[in-house]
Amino acid sequence: MIIPSDTTVRAWLAAGASAVTPVACATLLGVIAGARLSLPDDAMLFLFAIMIAAFGGRRAGLLAASLSVAAYDFFFVPPRFTFAVADLGYVMTFAVMFTVGAGMGTLVARLRHAEAASRQRERRTAALLAFTADSARAVDVAEVASAVAAHAEDVLAAPVVVLVPGGDGALAAAAGLAPLAAQELAVVRAAHEQRRPAGRGTQLVPSARLLALPLLAGGDSAGVVAVHLDRARRRIDREARELLEAIARQAGLAIARLRLTAEARDAELRVQAEELRSALLSTVSHDLRTPLAVITGTATALREISSALTPDQLAAIDTIVEEATWLGRILTNLLAITRVEHGGEIHSEWVPVEEIVGSALARAEAVLAGRDVALDLAPDIGVRVNPILIEQLLLNLLENAAKHTPPATPIEIAAALAGDGVAIEVADRGPGVPPGAEHQVFQKLYRGPNARGAGAGLGLAVCRGIATAHGGTIEAAQRSGGGATFRIWLPGGAPPPPPIDDRAIDDHAIDDHAIDDRAVDDRAVDDRAVDDRAVDDRAVDDRAIDDRAVDDRAIEPAPTGPGVSPAAGAAP
Amino acid sequence: MTGPGDTVVVVEDELPMRRFLRSALMAHGFRVVEAGTIAEAERAAVDTRPDAIVLDLGLPDGDGLELLKRLREWSTAPVIVLSARDRENDKVIALDAGADDYLTKPFGTSELLARIRVALRHARAQPATEDPTIIVGPISIDRARHQVQLAGAAIHLTPIEFRLLLLLARHAGKVLTHRQLLHDVWGPRSAQQTHYLRVHMAALRKKLEVDPARPRWLTTEPGVGYRLRDE
Repeated sequence: MIIPSDTTVRAWLAAGASAVTPVACATLLGVIAGARLSLPDDAMLFLFAIMIAAFGGRRAGLLAASLSVAAYDFFFVPPRFTFAVADLGYVMTFAVMFTVGAGMGTLVARLRHAEAASRQRERRTAALLAFTADSARAVDVAEVASAVAAHAEDVLAAPVVVLVPGGDGALAAAAGLAPLAAQELAVVRAAHEQRRPAGRGTQLVPSARLLALPLLAGGDSAGVVAVHLDRARRRIDREARELLEAIARQAGLAIARLRLTAEARDAELRVQAEELRSALLSTVSHDLRTPLAVITGTATALREISSALTPDQLAAIDTIVEEATWLGRILTNLLAITRVEHGGEIHSEWVPVEEIVGSALARAEAVLAGRDVALDLAPDIGVRVNPILIEQLLLNLLENAAKHTPPATPIEIAAALAGDGVAIEVADRGPGVPPGAEHQVFQKLYRGPNARGAGAGLGLAVCRGIATAHGGTIEAAQRSGGGATFRIWLPGGAPPPPPIDDRAIDDHAIDDHAIDDRAVDDRAVDDRAVDDRAVDDRAVDDRAIDDRAVDDRAIEPAPTGPGVSPAAGAAP
Repeated sequence: MTGPGDTVVVVEDELPMRRFLRSALMAHGFRVVEAGTIAEAERAAVDTRPDAIVLDLGLPDGDGLELLKRLREWSTAPVIVLSARDRENDKVIALDAGADDYLTKPFGTSELLARIRVALRHARAQPATEDPTIIVGPISIDRARHQVQLAGAAIHLTPIEFRLLLLLARHAGKVLTHRQLLHDVWGPRSAQQTHYLRVHMAALRKKLEVDPARPRWLTTEPGVGYRLRDE
């Protein structure tokens, strides 16, 4: 047996109410009028009553038809005041009454339904528009979330909760009051992670008591809107679902827009910060260096008139120059650390280790004061770095060694391939790094216990900053046999191959190659002037210059030959 | 070669720096004209037709580089730019725009005079009458025969190395930027391939220097280029 639900019973009761009155009126009117004057067709009254009742809907129409048939049969069809029918022709009348009742009722119901549907559509369109306007005004994700919750609740007449990922990435309620149970939260998470609807009416956990839709922003889920479906409202109709989906889509777009805006703002801020930093650096650089340059320059100019000065006065001038130079080095380090620590872009290029060590040694000449520096550099290796910064790094290590070790002790620099890069070691024979301070030495303002003279404690911090900025490492260790070793690792290796451009000209190169090869062989012989002249003439042509680039490579693998080695007596 | 009578325009906004430059140059017999702004500098350059110009790149009333470019439209007087250590890019741009050499602050009198002397010498050399043999320190280069000798001993160089050395030697004492070297040796398309240049410079040092890691002649100007020293 089917127990009709509350809503069905209520619907029939309402239908009864709207059916009983017109039928009762028709019956009364028929009875009263029939007594005074003869009506040609009483049935017309009932048809009219059915029509009126049918405005109450299909149920009311059918009910009114049934009641009319009963009343008509009882009061008007002979034998009157019984339900018996003498003339079978009346059955036809009953059928017409039913048909009119059912037909009219259905028609009216359809019209009503269509009207209600269009009204609802209008309301939902308005709701979506209102939501779009709200979400467009939102300045952050939380405002978008509360707009979603407010409008969805309004439209669906069901509790809604909106969740967005927090700082840790976990979903947290951002709007809506409905608390979620653990298994409901799992459904919401599923919708978020799989970026598709989950819960009631979907393929994902359809048994759940809620519907969760992800807010898609640029292919990614920026949050979830979840609707509670309680016992009274087991599912939401297709249109409401579509509306909810539209809101979710709009919310996703709004969040994507907010994210883009935020990114653009961040980028702009970064550019501004970068501009400010370089303006500041160039001001500091100019304002502090110029007086230093004047001090150094004027002191050297004074020193030129040495014949007029006493040894004490000369020593004083030297002190001025030394101190100004020292200040200049601190300034250079300060600027270098600002440069590498504040994310300025580092322009890297392949540089031979020998060249970079060489220029660092040249700059460290005064600091090293003739100290013995032994080199052990593997041939033909290079590092992919900013040469200025790495020169500064090496200079700092050399200065550090000079400062912390006795004047006569040697310093050694070694470099070799290590993995995808090059390891460079700067080692000394001083007191070494204090045990346990291997990491501390790289901290800003750290000063070793054996530091001689003044020091700002910046040098090694700058070294670490520079190495890190290149994707490299630096570490300090005790050296076996006494002393300290600073080991730097930087990306690099063998020289990169020449560009394809130059290799592509091989065809042209074959002839020239022969000439050049001969030129190599003939070097030792004296009568090659004519051939060489030919080579020289070609040099006018740009094309030939490129060809030579290729030839050069061809020749290089065998660089040794008569007179190639750095000849004795080359010393200046 | 240089000395009394040579006029140097000093373009420097900082008075103390200008004073130092003036006294250092005047002590060595140069006539000095001072300019504190770009406008003054242009006037001075037009009025005095200087033999050399010392230009600080960090001028306040405009870019020293702008002055350099305008100057180069009508003047060939050597320009030596002054700049701070970590402004390598400024130096390179200035050198590529026609400056002849640079000095990194701080510098001493002797460096200043050495740069000016080299610049004046190159400005006065007549390319048409260039000696067929160039001698720089122990290195002697026979341009016609493509022969190089180091302290009298023949040294074999590849064609690229020879061109590189010849270029540096023709501008001995003067800095040449990576770009200038690449452009003249490899052609205009190679201006970005600095590793190319570095590999060949390393090879050249191996052949010409006693200790390639401590070059005496072929020195590195970090971030800028190379220089073949001539003293």
